[in-house]
Amino acid sequence: MKNPFSYPFVKFILKKGLFYLIVTFIALNFIFLIPRLMPGNPIDRMIPPGTTDEGRLKLKDELEKYFGLNKSRSEQYLNFWSNLLRGDLGYAVMPGYSFTPVVDAVMSKLPYTLVLVIPVLFIGFFLGNWIGARAAYAKGKKSDAVYYLSVIASQMPFYWFAMVLLFLLAVNARILPTGGTFSPRFIPGFDFASFKDALYHYILPFLTLLIITTGGWATGMRSMTLYELDAGYILYSRQLGFRNKKLMSYAERNAILPQFTGLNINLNNLIGMTMILEIVFRWDGIGLLTLTAIQSRDYFMMLGTFILTMVVVVLGNFLVDVAYAFLDPRIRTGTGG
Amino acid sequence: MFELLIRSKKFLVGTTIVLAIILFGIVGPALTRDPLAYNPYNIAKPPSNDFPLGTGNFGEDELAQLCTGTRNSLMIGAIAGGLAMLIAVLVGGIGPYKGGLVDEIANAFTNVVMVFPMLPLLILLAAILEERSMILLALLIGLTSWPWAARCIRSQVLTLKERGFIDVARMSGMKDRKIVVAEIMPNMLAYIIIVFVVSLSIAVLTEAGLSMIGLGPDPSTSVTLGSMLYWVMNSTQAALPWDLWWCFIPPGLILTIFLVAVFIMHNGMDEVFNPRLRRV
Repeated sequence: MKNPFSYPFVKFILKKGLFYLIVTFIALNFIFLIPRLMPGNPIDRMIPPGTTDEGRLKLKDELEKYFGLNKSRSEQYLNFWSNLLRGDLGYAVMPGYSFTPVVDAVMSKLPYTLVLVIPVLFIGFFLGNWIGARAAYAKGKKSDAVYYLSVIASQMPFYWFAMVLLFLLAVNARILPTGGTFSPRFIPGFDFASFKDALYHYILPFLTLLIITTGGWATGMRSMTLYELDAGYILYSRQLGFRNKKLMSYAERNAILPQFTGLNINLNNLIGMTMILEIVFRWDGIGLLTLTAIQSRDYFMMLGTFILTMVVVVLGNFLVDVAYAFLDPRIRTGTGG
Repeated sequence: MFELLIRSKKFLVGTTIVLAIILFGIVGPALTRDPLAYNPYNIAKPPSNDFPLGTGNFGEDELAQLCTGTRNSLMIGAIAGGLAMLIAVLVGGIGPYKGGLVDEIANAFTNVVMVFPMLPLLILLAAILEERSMILLALLIGLTSWPWAARCIRSQVLTLKERGFIDVARMSGMKDRKIVVAEIMPNMLAYIIIVFVVSLSIAVLTEAGLSMIGLGPDPSTSVTLGSMLYWVMNSTQAALPWDLWWCFIPPGLILTIFLVAVFIMHNGMDEVFNPRLRRV
């Protein structure tokens, strides 16, 4: 039997896995350092204003003891890792969360963010590349129009586009809600009515994200396809009398491969964009949770949301790389590349 | 190289619009009212002869806000873009030039930072620093936005290295520093300027997004394009913030025009450097 580690595919995935583990390790160390290196002391901010000087000092001592900040740096570091590995990110102190574990609070909001990110990632990719490839093949005014439209769609500030859509469709035309995840006074449950209500609120944030990402993919794919259409193999096949449809499928297949490598960066951008859009649309995901945590100065929640976002991004990146390894024949068979 | 660039229509149009917006930011604030002037008689009024772009929550002149906001946003963008460029040239330029272990470490570092979700990180950093000035925010954005620029610089240095003249210079006994200054820099200059302008535009976009959700510089004292959006989001004068269309359409429109112009300029330059893309 052949050694499984000799397969180029397995090798590639192990290498990527190791890389992402290193990234996570560096990022988590960074999380440990940020509050300790930055100016300003979170403890000071937790003490309510109007406390006497004596009370302030006493409270500070108590809080430092409670958070383990009176120990040495190395002990703090060990505690940090042991808590992390046990999946303990602390307890939420912000109003409305009454000391629920941060992990639970974030996990309950994560689906709302992912339900936006994942469909947009895939639909945007296919739609954008389809439009871009066709735009490369079309000539003259039509091609130019698609080019400028997709440039504008991809370059416009997403949060502003959200505001414009809200202004046009929710305030003036009144066909879509102005925000939220469910209608006011609606009690969500696991039934069709809740699903319908959520879907109704889902359309605008989804459309905003989709239009922006599709524009990005379309501009990229158009120039990649143009580049391929000018390559020797296409020119030669054309001389041989291949049909246009065939030529196009060759060009597209080669043009789309570099686009796949862009999925990683697109995922990272999408998560950030979604977090800000959630705030504009009051959509109940981790972006809105982060903002509430920041406004109520809940440090555990702020760090917790970031750590879990980080984990999602790293995991997503890894999955995209695995998918890429399946698709790229050079990695699949280990020849060339 | 510049003669080639000027012949590209995309590059020319993009550059003209970018320069026009910069000029608007420089000249505008001198010709308009005080953007922070409080005026209780003119709160949240739509455009009129006296206030061509209307007034905001506190009766401030929106046209004055737009001019000063453009200037401040561009300044934040320039500082952030400059810092990002500096890091990018160091990390992305020295690696491939020195080669070997230095290159491997620099490249691995860039790749690691590239996986970080930058916007959430920026939100976290901005939230921890509660006293944010415009310069501090610019530095934060610069510190988190360099990996893209570093990659561009790195690939450009790699292609330059392939060409013979650097080897000739090295063989003729030129010192490293002199090769960088006399041979590499002149060839990189146009490229570095464009990457800087793109970094600047991304920084302006990021600043407005952060300021809009209240994580930018203090919106009651520093006017930026993002602070204008912040006051729309947190309006106390309208039932729905989106009713104040004259307050949020102009800053977003200026951002869009600026970003599209920078993109077209960058695209035009790509086509010049990469002739196979030119066939449009």
